[in-house]
Amino acid sequence: MKKIWKTLRSMRFGILLLALIGVCSVLGSLIPQGREIAFYAENYPTTHPVLLVLQLNELFKSWYFVLLTALLCLNLTLCSLVRIVSVVKGGRTLHESAARLPNEAALTPEELAKLEGFLASRRCRKTETGGARVYTRRLIGRCGSFITHLAILLTVLFGAAGLYLPQVTDLDCMPGESVTLPDGANFAVRAFRTQNAEGKLDYASDLTITLPDGRSRTGVISVNHPLSFGNYKVYQQTYGTAGSVTVTNVATGGSDDFLLPDPAFLSLDNYNGLWVLAVYPDFYYTPEGVLTPTGSATGDYPNPVYLLQRSEEGVSSQEVAFPGTVVEVGGLSFRFNDPARYPGLRIKVTPGAVTTLLFASFVLMIAGLFITFFLPPVVVKVDGEGYAVGGPKPEGTRLELRALFEREKET
Amino acid sequence: MKILFFAAFLIYAAAVILQFAGTAFKKEKLLKAARFVFLGALAVHTVFIIVRGVAAGRLPLSNQFEFANAFAWGIALMLAVLRGRMKTDWLSVAAMPMALLVLTYAALQPMEIHDLMPALRSGWFGIHIGSAVLSYAAFVLAGCVGLRYVLAVKKGADAGDARLQQMDFLSYRLVAFGFLFLTVVILSGAIWAEQAWSAFWTWDPKEVWALITWIIYAVYLHLRLRAKKQGVKMAWYLIIAVPVVFFTFAGVNTLLPGLHSYG
Repeated sequence: MKKIWKTLRSMRFGILLLALIGVCSVLGSLIPQGREIAFYAENYPTTHPVLLVLQLNELFKSWYFVLLTALLCLNLTLCSLVRIVSVVKGGRTLHESAARLPNEAALTPEELAKLEGFLASRRCRKTETGGARVYTRRLIGRCGSFITHLAILLTVLFGAAGLYLPQVTDLDCMPGESVTLPDGANFAVRAFRTQNAEGKLDYASDLTITLPDGRSRTGVISVNHPLSFGNYKVYQQTYGTAGSVTVTNVATGGSDDFLLPDPAFLSLDNYNGLWVLAVYPDFYYTPEGVLTPTGSATGDYPNPVYLLQRSEEGVSSQEVAFPGTVVEVGGLSFRFNDPARYPGLRIKVTPGAVTTLLFASFVLMIAGLFITFFLPPVVVKVDGEGYAVGGPKPEGTRLELRALFEREKET
Repeated sequence: MKILFFAAFLIYAAAVILQFAGTAFKKEKLLKAARFVFLGALAVHTVFIIVRGVAAGRLPLSNQFEFANAFAWGIALMLAVLRGRMKTDWLSVAAMPMALLVLTYAALQPMEIHDLMPALRSGWFGIHIGSAVLSYAAFVLAGCVGLRYVLAVKKGADAGDARLQQMDFLSYRLVAFGFLFLTVVILSGAIWAEQAWSAFWTWDPKEVWALITWIIYAVYLHLRLRAKKQGVKMAWYLIIAVPVVFFTFAGVNTLLPGLHSYG
């Protein structure tokens, strides 16, 4: 049991786990993830059964990847505990341990005076212990490794929470309309545009969020600028193009505007009416003079054309319409307009403090790494005969002191 | 504006030739000339970056050309700083060609200035990509130090040699610097991704390879700091890691399409 415990908290085990996660990551980046099985059958005709059994198509969600990550968390937890114990214990006996270090180099009294002058000029703190003088500086550097490992652990945990706990809903909402989620939260899009104030391409929606308790907030969302309110965060995710038609009742004169993202049948009696099947960005005429709708590489609609199906007294016929065209069927008059753009929204509900805690872990990690690498502790013991360098990262100080005396010899 | 880029390119090439000649023939005058020519190239390169940034109205870091150009500049700048602090030339002969190599890759990319696409218009743009420039440059320089270490050992230097110890420590410092900035790249990228794509992490190939690079250097730092591994094996480790950095920088965008395939 003791051996297992020791293995689980060892650096060697941690490195092994990192290496295995690295290997899995390489495979996961080379094999497209999350595609339909037919894709793998087509692209990996001989190996796809093995690939599927090994879950290489969903590698980052596979049991073994989750297990590796869990073991890494365990390793980091145990490692952090060991480190904090060593930092606390080592802190109490730091000066005594340093005072007992055997000298690395013998120095003349002049050299010793120069060394102590140098250490004092570096604002090292001098303590007399056990017949030696121990100079210390930046002792916070001893905590860097612990802070870093703790922050990595927290980042993995809160990162996993941030990835898997939020409830995400994707929905399209026509400008001027609103959608209500099952919990009662309402999202109303007042306008949508695809250019910013400078005329550059951008995607922005004027949005009002109304919470189930009636509180509401209005704002603009665009790419990189989601709107948060309560636990909801709304993103400008995609956009689409919908057909736009003004329908007038010929008898009464009443009219209404419709945005049609999908095929729709518009009718008074549900028998005679017009199917608006699709709206295409562009078209061309064949040499025989047949109009043929086409797509658009840019996403723009330079010459929109509507594909319609007229249904009258049980007889159907197809026709096309352009913006400005008026069609009358079954007592209704249809006037086609330029297609309208509409936003695709992503609504994310994240539990309470997950995001804040994750950001705090990020800050902690950067601080930990900075302390570890750029604030290494200085621990130097000096006695009547020479000096020794101690502490967890003595190399930099050792090289610095060696350089000090080499410079002295050169001059 | 292109003339500034190609002027910098040619001056770097001249510095590399002078550096090689000076090293091969052990001529101090040639090495001194290489240093000055190199600093001249760096100055012209810096002017080019400023001019391009002003013309684009943003930081010139948005596509493969601009990133590679900044990457080469990062290597050159760090080399100049290290050269100034260490007062020795041993790193230049490996690092100067590396800066030139990256700049050659930049020269092969389309150089037109484009408006930033909406997803890139963010306050995180400079922090995320600027940190990547510093991080990758530090890793490449660490690989160059590793190369010089291996060559020095092959020439008969032993592990107790003060210069080898200096090289070993410098490579560690460079990795530590690069690792800190790679962490900033990953974490700032996560925050930015959450704002732009609604998720901190999407296992996009670029993210995955940044993580792989991070793991590779995390393992190095653990071996170096905790297991006290030093010497020629660790130098080889850093040399072998450099292609991974290059793959993360250029290979992923070219071979593994994903959310980061911008330019």
